[in-house]
Amino acid sequence: MKTLLDRARRNPALALGVAIAIIIGAAALFPGLFSQTSPLEIDMGRALQPPSTAHPFGTDHVGRDVYSRVVHGAGVTLGIVSGSLALSAIFGGLTGLFAGYLRGFSDLATGQFTGVILSFPPIFLGVMITGILGSSVANLVVAMAIIYFPLFVRVARSSTMVEASRSYTEAAQVLGAGDLRVIFRHLLPNVLPAVLTQYIILFPLALQIQAALGFLGLGVQPPTPDWGASLQESKDYVLFASWTAIFPGLALILSSLAVILIGRGLQSKN
Amino acid sequence: MSDKFKTTRRRLLLSAAAIPLVTLAGLTIPVAPAWADDSVLYGPSDPAAKQGGSLTVGSLIEPPSFDIYHQAGEAVNFVAPLMYQTLVYADHDGNPHPLLAESWEVSEDLTEYTFRLRSGVTFHTGQPLEATDVKYGLDYMRNPDNGTIGALDFADLEEVEVVDPLTVVVRLKKPNSAFLITLTHRNGSVVPRNWFDGETSRTELNSKSVGTGPFKLAEFVQNSYMRLQRNPDYWQPGLPYLDEIIINFIPNSAGMLVAARNGRVDMAVLVRPQDADQLKNDTSLTVQRSRSLNQKSLDLDSTYGPLEDERVRRAVALLIDKEAVMQAAISGYGQVLGMMVPGMQDRWGVPLDDLPNQKVDVEKAKALLAEAGHPDGIDLELRTIIGYDWMEPAALTLAQQLQKGGVRVTIERLDLGTWLQNFRAKKMGFTLNDWGTPPDPNILYYRHFHQPPEGADFRNWANADGSRLLDEGRQTGDDGKRREIYNEFQRLLAESVPTVMMFGSDHIVVVSDAVRNHTMHPIGWHFGLVKTWIDQE
Amino acid sequence: MRRFLLFRILASALTLLLASLAVFLMVRAVPGSIVETMMGQMGSTEGEAALRRFFGLDQPVYMQYIDWLSRVLTGDFGVSWRQGSPVLSLVFGAFIVSLQLALMVLVVSSLIGVPLGLLAGYLAGGVIDTIIQSFNVLFLATPVFWLALMLLFGVSALFHWSPPTIYASPGRSLSDNIVILLLPMLSLAFLQIAAYAQFVRQHVVEAMQQEYVRALKARGVPPKVILGKHVLRNILVPLITFMGLIFIQILGGVVVIESIFGLPGLGRLLVNALYARDFPVVQGALAMILVSAILINLLVDVLYHAIDPRLRT
Repeated sequence: MKTLLDRARRNPALALGVAIAIIIGAAALFPGLFSQTSPLEIDMGRALQPPSTAHPFGTDHVGRDVYSRVVHGAGVTLGIVSGSLALSAIFGGLTGLFAGYLRGFSDLATGQFTGVILSFPPIFLGVMITGILGSSVANLVVAMAIIYFPLFVRVARSSTMVEASRSYTEAAQVLGAGDLRVIFRHLLPNVLPAVLTQYIILFPLALQIQAALGFLGLGVQPPTPDWGASLQESKDYVLFASWTAIFPGLALILSSLAVILIGRGLQSKN
Repeated sequence: MSDKFKTTRRRLLLSAAAIPLVTLAGLTIPVAPAWADDSVLYGPSDPAAKQGGSLTVGSLIEPPSFDIYHQAGEAVNFVAPLMYQTLVYADHDGNPHPLLAESWEVSEDLTEYTFRLRSGVTFHTGQPLEATDVKYGLDYMRNPDNGTIGALDFADLEEVEVVDPLTVVVRLKKPNSAFLITLTHRNGSVVPRNWFDGETSRTELNSKSVGTGPFKLAEFVQNSYMRLQRNPDYWQPGLPYLDEIIINFIPNSAGMLVAARNGRVDMAVLVRPQDADQLKNDTSLTVQRSRSLNQKSLDLDSTYGPLEDERVRRAVALLIDKEAVMQAAISGYGQVLGMMVPGMQDRWGVPLDDLPNQKVDVEKAKALLAEAGHPDGIDLELRTIIGYDWMEPAALTLAQQLQKGGVRVTIERLDLGTWLQNFRAKKMGFTLNDWGTPPDPNILYYRHFHQPPEGADFRNWANADGSRLLDEGRQTGDDGKRREIYNEFQRLLAESVPTVMMFGSDHIVVVSDAVRNHTMHPIGWHFGLVKTWIDQE
Repeated sequence: MRRFLLFRILASALTLLLASLAVFLMVRAVPGSIVETMMGQMGSTEGEAALRRFFGLDQPVYMQYIDWLSRVLTGDFGVSWRQGSPVLSLVFGAFIVSLQLALMVLVVSSLIGVPLGLLAGYLAGGVIDTIIQSFNVLFLATPVFWLALMLLFGVSALFHWSPPTIYASPGRSLSDNIVILLLPMLSLAFLQIAAYAQFVRQHVVEAMQQEYVRALKARGVPPKVILGKHVLRNILVPLITFMGLIFIQILGGVVVIESIFGLPGLGRLLVNALYARDFPVVQGALAMILVSAILINLLVDVLYHAIDPRLRT
């Protein structure tokens, strides 16, 4: 954390990313700090009002405060994306670790399995899985975790193979360390950075997929505020109430922007 | 056989003329004899009409296929009547008129219908229409083993007999006063005899039409458009006016509005009436609004959790402010309902104020819930269907209203396929629904609310009184008596609450300046396009 | 090379087989079937059973799969359950639309993105680099479908114009065709331009630090030549892989863009068929996407070998 701030001081793009991330993160964790208006309360009397002091982002088609929905949507949308990617990273990372270390049949089987998943268009996979499991936040998280699973497997696998060929791994094996010990004590710490990098790279992509699935009406159920779902609800009003679509979209852009900037800042050497 | 019937049974010439008067908003209008006036077919005529031109219609819904005997759905109903015709046509007020029939006679006991067919009608295939074709269609449709969608509509058919090439007699097992209106649905469409014997005949219906209608199918491109061409051999002189109709399937309202605004379509059928608000300022567009036979309802499955208890269902009804739901769902572009669809309310409906459980009464609702053993309220899952845009704001509003009485609602969105499976398996739960009906109360209620096996009773209502009333209504010929029976049935529905009919949304059609003489039939099918014309100057 | 190709083809065939099985099982695990969507709120239970028999849905799933697979192996993908038209012609029609869109995006975004990336990489750290990078980051962060909505409504509001809503093939009307695909292409291109520029920039920055570039620079070779002739050739292999990946993505996965603009492409065909439970079309469309992905990957591999002699074995 300290090094991050340290770097941010020297890298303005990183600083911007960190600043946006802090604000959005705070909104996600403590929406009450940013908005006292309810994101759920509907009032047809004030439907589709343009931005004003009372409603800085205007109101939506059933009179809900768009600002409050954007603020409260942060936790929902980002929660789903980070949660599903985390799930994916854990299972995918472990699978890749074992496949890369054990090689042989389990590696081939894993390769086939991930190849099959990767061959489907991600949105279609999302539609299909939520179709089978039923549309809910939990199932959306599962669906997205499955979509990104292969990408973590691949990264972890190739990084494991590199590490496994290094001398310290061979040394540990010669010294009689069991496979599990080698995997968890020696390989895992060295493979972790690659998995984390993958997490950061995939985050904006996953955000797009999540929003697109929300846009298709899958996943988050109304009235829960979610950016993609907000876009789905507002798309038909864009002609004369553009604010209902502009602000959730901007929130999506800013979140992706923050993650991209941080990711690049961390990768750059200075 | 037919001779015997002629001598032993007194016959009543029952056409529209035999229903002497129809009361309409206080006026009494004599209805012309059925065979006299073809000009009522497909809406009012326009003496100024000029022939020619092409009309592009924007449609948010797309027919899955034109296999009209095996594919259900409003999307098919919309356009099928332009290509396929039935024996009978129902006018905007719900009165039957001869279409492919020229006239008919109905036996006094409502079990024998004798149709005299028009001569000189040909199918799009070129062969002439004969009684055998009518018999084939009805016999094929009523045999459930053919996988047809209308088998239940014609389950009471005893026999269809061809008397001569232009006369056909339909005998029913039980009297059915709604039979003529039943025949107005496209399930009664007449196709050339033995059509479905062909190996690829179902498939062929997507590339050509084989009906007798004013338009022929020229092209059908999935996810894009369909093109209809004027039938040059059509039997009504001078009709249709248009040379060509292109129906453009536009996948979302947003795209539809942009297309209408920029003149990409001449006519836009809006599924969400409030979209008209977004086009109000366009002077080149006219917004047409008319009443429908459609209803947006909240259905309550009597086997779903606490809804088993009638008191709980009544409590739910007592918490609903239909007007507010309609405002949220369609910005008020509709009619609040009692227990009857808007287009039939005047003739068949009980006024809203005369029905029980229509006024919001939170205290009474809470008391009923407590009485039913739920002093702390209940939790329900409310289902909506993805793609039905009105449902989401309606569900949100309902959730807020129900909450006040202790009915906590979570919303569950399903895709249509999943929803339909639940519906057909009679596990509909607590759900929003959207449906319409040909203009007769028997058709509206019977299948949905009569106990099995005669009806489907999708909501597991299992109400014997209701079934008895529905049977009586079906067997009674006299309009006045029928109204009494169906009024009683509506009171029963409102009291026992297997469904809450909330509102019917109006038909909203946006047309460009050049479009003339378009009317929308209350049922929402495109009958009106037969008499629509384009001012090409 | 030949052994390599053979191995690749065998591996791909296995993936294809497993994927077809997975799809077959998954579509049948989604609740509901074509029977319910055909019967709607009408129809009898006997009718349901009759339809189930008609479509072979009364058979055990493994029988259905064997039946389907054995037909597919003879080139028969069956007919759409909804429409009765041959799956292959439906899928092929939609594929052409998607292919054209993907090609247009590929050409436009690589023609703009690659030079931008070269420029930014060569001038890394400068003002121009910062501007290009800001553009990159912004468009990498923008959801494509949101941009599409904004473009459609923005253009309509500003110019009182919108593209025709009925898709026209290039054969029917080339001008209409281009006009129709323009906005969808733009919606997708911004992100891809940014992706190409970033990708190329990163590789150029790495290349610039390499010995041979320094030597060229020291000899006074003009930047145009260094970039165009030497650096570009060196990053061509990873660039082609990258292009292939993005191309496959657009072929199969832009259902939201297709539905915003009403394009009859592969993504919409697939998702609509899934919603209608038109299983043969779902299976056929996915097979098409999978096969084209495999072919593109093969093509990429072949190109590798053509470009980089070191990979020849």
